[in-house]
Amino acid sequence: MGQAIYNILVFPGLFFLILFGWAAEFIDRKIYARGQKRVGPPWYQPVADFIKLAAKEDIVPEEASATSFKLMPLIAMASAVTAFFYIPLWTTEALFSFYGDIIVVMYLLTIPTLTFFLGGWYSRSLYSTIGAMRTLTQLFAYEVPLFVVILASALLANTWSLSEITKFYALHPHLWIFNLLGFGIGIIALLGKLEKGPFDIPEAETEIVAGSFTEYGGRLLAFFRLTLDIEVIVGASLLAAVFLPFGLNLTPAIGFVIYIIKVLFIVILLAVLRTILARFRIDQMLDFCWRYLAPLAFIQILINLLVKGLLLR
Amino acid sequence: MGLIKKIVTWGRTKSPWVLHFNTGACNACDIEIIAALTPRYDLERFGVLLKGSPRHADVLLCSGPVTRQIGDRLKRIYDQMPEPKFVVAVGTCACSGGVFKGCYNIESGIDQVLPVAAYIPGCPASPKAIIDAVVKLLKSLEES
Repeated sequence: MGQAIYNILVFPGLFFLILFGWAAEFIDRKIYARGQKRVGPPWYQPVADFIKLAAKEDIVPEEASATSFKLMPLIAMASAVTAFFYIPLWTTEALFSFYGDIIVVMYLLTIPTLTFFLGGWYSRSLYSTIGAMRTLTQLFAYEVPLFVVILASALLANTWSLSEITKFYALHPHLWIFNLLGFGIGIIALLGKLEKGPFDIPEAETEIVAGSFTEYGGRLLAFFRLTLDIEVIVGASLLAAVFLPFGLNLTPAIGFVIYIIKVLFIVILLAVLRTILARFRIDQMLDFCWRYLAPLAFIQILINLLVKGLLLR
Repeated sequence: MGLIKKIVTWGRTKSPWVLHFNTGACNACDIEIIAALTPRYDLERFGVLLKGSPRHADVLLCSGPVTRQIGDRLKRIYDQMPEPKFVVAVGTCACSGGVFKGCYNIESGIDQVLPVAAYIPGCPASPKAIIDAVVKLLKSLEES
């Protein structure tokens, strides 16, 4: 019991996630700044932002539904943290695991996006309503390719559990090569899920102020920002577990270092993509995702079916 | 209690998010504010970010003598910002009304409408002056 509480709250749970999320946000902002020939923020910037926001006044708009408005950041953070427990990190065994947890993780990672929509919708402001609608429209574009590539990887491993998938790829170390296309699609879809880079349409500052978060301030905004930081780590860990199955059977210390390197590699990749690409319009994004990303994801399924039929006899 | 207060003050001085509002300026001070936020001067070194929503902002950068028409809007924007909040008057017009002082259609300065934390004179105030004022404002926060 005590061990479980320690695992959930401290390591590798909430506390570790928050620290790692802040580190990832700093790396992301620093790379973004260096890409623009700036110096960039100091290393403690995400911590200072969180402390400042947490110490500010909470304002709930008069028109907004107060309970839902205040509840949304907490639901978002709880679901993002819960998804983390089912992902295998530096061993082939996740903290908790059961047959079919891959579906649960995918849905838990969808809930923060839905809370961004509901939070924006309940604030009853014009900008947040537009942002909320864009969040939902974008969800339909990136979610299908992301689901399909992760399920394609599960198809090859012939299981519905994330721990079983990593066990399978640890046993067959060369099969990850066939999933490279899926990894690329996963990275692009993750950019959409995190509302970053070319897909930051729902919170486009130059068009709709701050999107869904326009009316959020103080502690509630601090929790939303923390949720986004945590989601980066959870999403990167998911992609690392499914597509980069290296160093899983080593000692925990070396495995942990390799896990950190894998996640940081994905975080840096996301930051570089965010720096070099300009924002799409929402219709261009939908067009791109449905016309190119989704068919490529189905090609990934085809590749995995062929590999399964020809190589894994 | 003292330690928590110290940590909170540290957070506030390291992460001031600004909101830019034109209160009837001729646009020269606005261009200088934008110039101060560009990569050339890189205010993110001090944690400064430009925010679009008053709900996210800590510092309200106002430029221009407050015209009668924009006075009410300025007050409404100020009320939408969560506490603690600071107002900075950028440019001579925002400090005192400048060449428009005493005109029939202006309030002659931000401090006629709102409490002002820092004044930045200049026509227009240069980016270096703006950065200097922000740093001085944060230092005064630290000392108080």
